[in-house]
Amino acid sequence: MILPTDLTDAPARALTVAPSPAFWLALVLYAAAALAFVFAAAGRAKAATAARWLLAGAVAAHGVDIGWRGVLHVHPAQSVREALGLTAWLFAGGYLAAASRFRLDLAGGVVAPVALGILAAARLTPAGTDPTGLGTLGRIHIMMAVVGVSLFAVASALAAIYLLQERSFKKKRLDTLAWKSGGAPLESLDRLANRLVLVGFPIFTVAMVLGVIWVQQRHASFGRPEYPLALVTWVSFAALLATRVAYGWRGRRSARLTLLGFATAMLVLAIYLVRRVLAG
Amino acid sequence: MATPGELFVVGMSWRTAPVAIRERLAFREEELANAIKQLCVDPAHEALLISTCNRVEIYGVGGPGATTAVKARLAANRGVPLGEVEHALYAHHGDGAIRHVFKVAAALDSLVLGEAQILGQLKAAWATAVAAGVSGPLLGRCLERAFGAAKRVRHETAIARGAANVSTVAVDLAHKVFGDLRGKRVLVVGAGKMSTLAARHLRRAGVDEIVVTNRSPERAERLADEIDGVARPWADLEAELAKADVVLSSTGAREPILTAAMFKRVTKARRWRPIVIVDIAVPRDAEPGIAERDGVYLFDIDDLERVVAANLAERAKAAEHAQHIVHHEAQQFERWLGQQRVVPTIRALREHFTHVAEAEVARTLELLHRKEHDPAARDQAIQRLGQLLVAKLLHQPQMALKDTDEAAVDTRIEAAVALFGLDLSRFQPSADPADALPDVDVAIEHAKREAK
Repeated sequence: MILPTDLTDAPARALTVAPSPAFWLALVLYAAAALAFVFAAAGRAKAATAARWLLAGAVAAHGVDIGWRGVLHVHPAQSVREALGLTAWLFAGGYLAAASRFRLDLAGGVVAPVALGILAAARLTPAGTDPTGLGTLGRIHIMMAVVGVSLFAVASALAAIYLLQERSFKKKRLDTLAWKSGGAPLESLDRLANRLVLVGFPIFTVAMVLGVIWVQQRHASFGRPEYPLALVTWVSFAALLATRVAYGWRGRRSARLTLLGFATAMLVLAIYLVRRVLAG
Repeated sequence: MATPGELFVVGMSWRTAPVAIRERLAFREEELANAIKQLCVDPAHEALLISTCNRVEIYGVGGPGATTAVKARLAANRGVPLGEVEHALYAHHGDGAIRHVFKVAAALDSLVLGEAQILGQLKAAWATAVAAGVSGPLLGRCLERAFGAAKRVRHETAIARGAANVSTVAVDLAHKVFGDLRGKRVLVVGAGKMSTLAARHLRRAGVDEIVVTNRSPERAERLADEIDGVARPWADLEAELAKADVVLSSTGAREPILTAAMFKRVTKARRWRPIVIVDIAVPRDAEPGIAERDGVYLFDIDDLERVVAANLAERAKAAEHAQHIVHHEAQQFERWLGQQRVVPTIRALREHFTHVAEAEVARTLELLHRKEHDPAARDQAIQRLGQLLVAKLLHQPQMALKDTDEAAVDTRIEAAVALFGLDLSRFQPSADPADALPDVDVAIEHAKREAK
């Protein structure tokens, strides 16, 4: 993780950096990929290949944009909008990595629009408050939370596909959308999602602890709605891992817990974003 | 040069003949090598004999009468009066035969669309033909292209996708849950024919362990031997269910064997690991209720048949695209074949022209040598060479154009225009004797005289 300490007092102009051409290109490519995934779901094999390449292009352009902003002293963890952009990037990149092993075109139809939505919501809304009060602790907290949530996001994309496929398999409907585009083996989806949670959970836990310390340091109130929600996220994933070890829970049960945890994590991020936008 | 004849096929398939006729004309594997030598029209010609449960076909290269002769030989070889089977036999020549073999190789003419065996059977038949010494370049090239087209069809269309019969559906279902089947354990309950077959398919798909259990220990042992598995006592059924990943059940029991109460205990012991149960028995071995438990995927015989029907429908849909590929590939081969026909003509033409040119060039070189110190004579000699070559090379075409009957004139004019890329619009027919063509022979003599 790159966290130069001298960034704590980033110049104020950093907030008003205009979107780079790479950012607009990334937006267009995410949208094109989302569209191509829809065609792929309709059974066009060529659209699936095109969609994967478009998404790869979007992730590349998005990466260039993040790097470019770094050059202009806009740190990816300096504000909620930057952190959300990074989350979208890690989410789409993580999906691409998973999709290189399994046929996950159907999940792509969720990943591409979600990444597009997060990026657009983060960057096309008003800039928000001055980031200078963040401090190193705040940045580390944000950075780790972003990485943890991104891993959870990829895990929940897999969990969503798992639930769809599992349902049609259980009901013996093998000609449904979930299987049309090939589908991935249920056990592989389950195993991969579990591994992502296994890696993401300790990172997210540290982020939570740092968050608590950070709030205490600033003598801020714990009475904000996002704190219990974040706790729900943590408990969901903790429960997922614990029940797997203790009772061997997996498959449908694990997938539901993954989705619950991810949904609350997204709510937390949404609350942060809305608050910043209102404050701005 | 003798005409090589064209490709033909004589045969019958499930489309044209019921099994009662097919079995009378079928060959056993060990008969094939001898039969093919007897059936082939002329030992110098190419032949291939394929005999499967759905078709008997003889491919060969021969003239127009070849198929009639082969039909008679086939009937005689099998000891069947030709009249009794002739209505079931078909014959295709040339392009028709080419298209047929392309379709057969791509399994578009198979009873089960897209099935994989036919390609292997054709390859084996070809190997037999090669070993018997009746293989040849035309058939060889044609089959090579047909195999290539079949490969394309398998890769580019969905025609070979999805299990096409009940015994292979279990493999597909296991793949959907587990992906890789290595390290998985299959439990065979009962000794039904279908589950034996399914177990074999699973073994081929990579399953490591197969366990067999049966109320009768002897039958369990026998089946275990047959499919390279391990027999377990009937009393261990529940313990085995806790360990298995795929269960193939086909007992003759009147009451369910895999009960909901049993699975309540089993799923806990399995720690919710997924299990695929394929119940092929009628009456069913598994209580439908067990499918409600997490991680239990239960399929009965109706489900399997529904899957097969859906897969076959998908294959039929894919067949349209496959037809296009096969048609295109066959056409390419036909074009190639057409080009091969003109190769001898091109060779002869080239040889003839080279011959004329070499002779004249040699003569001119000699002249140049003699007139080493006379530049004007040397220039003239080169000009002469050009004129002479034109005159000599045009001699035969010109004669052929002039000395032909009225009926063939137009064809020859067309040929000349096409061969030499002429533009006739500038040359109108004329009655003026001054426009008459110089006689080629006279022109040659004239040129020769001047050269001297």
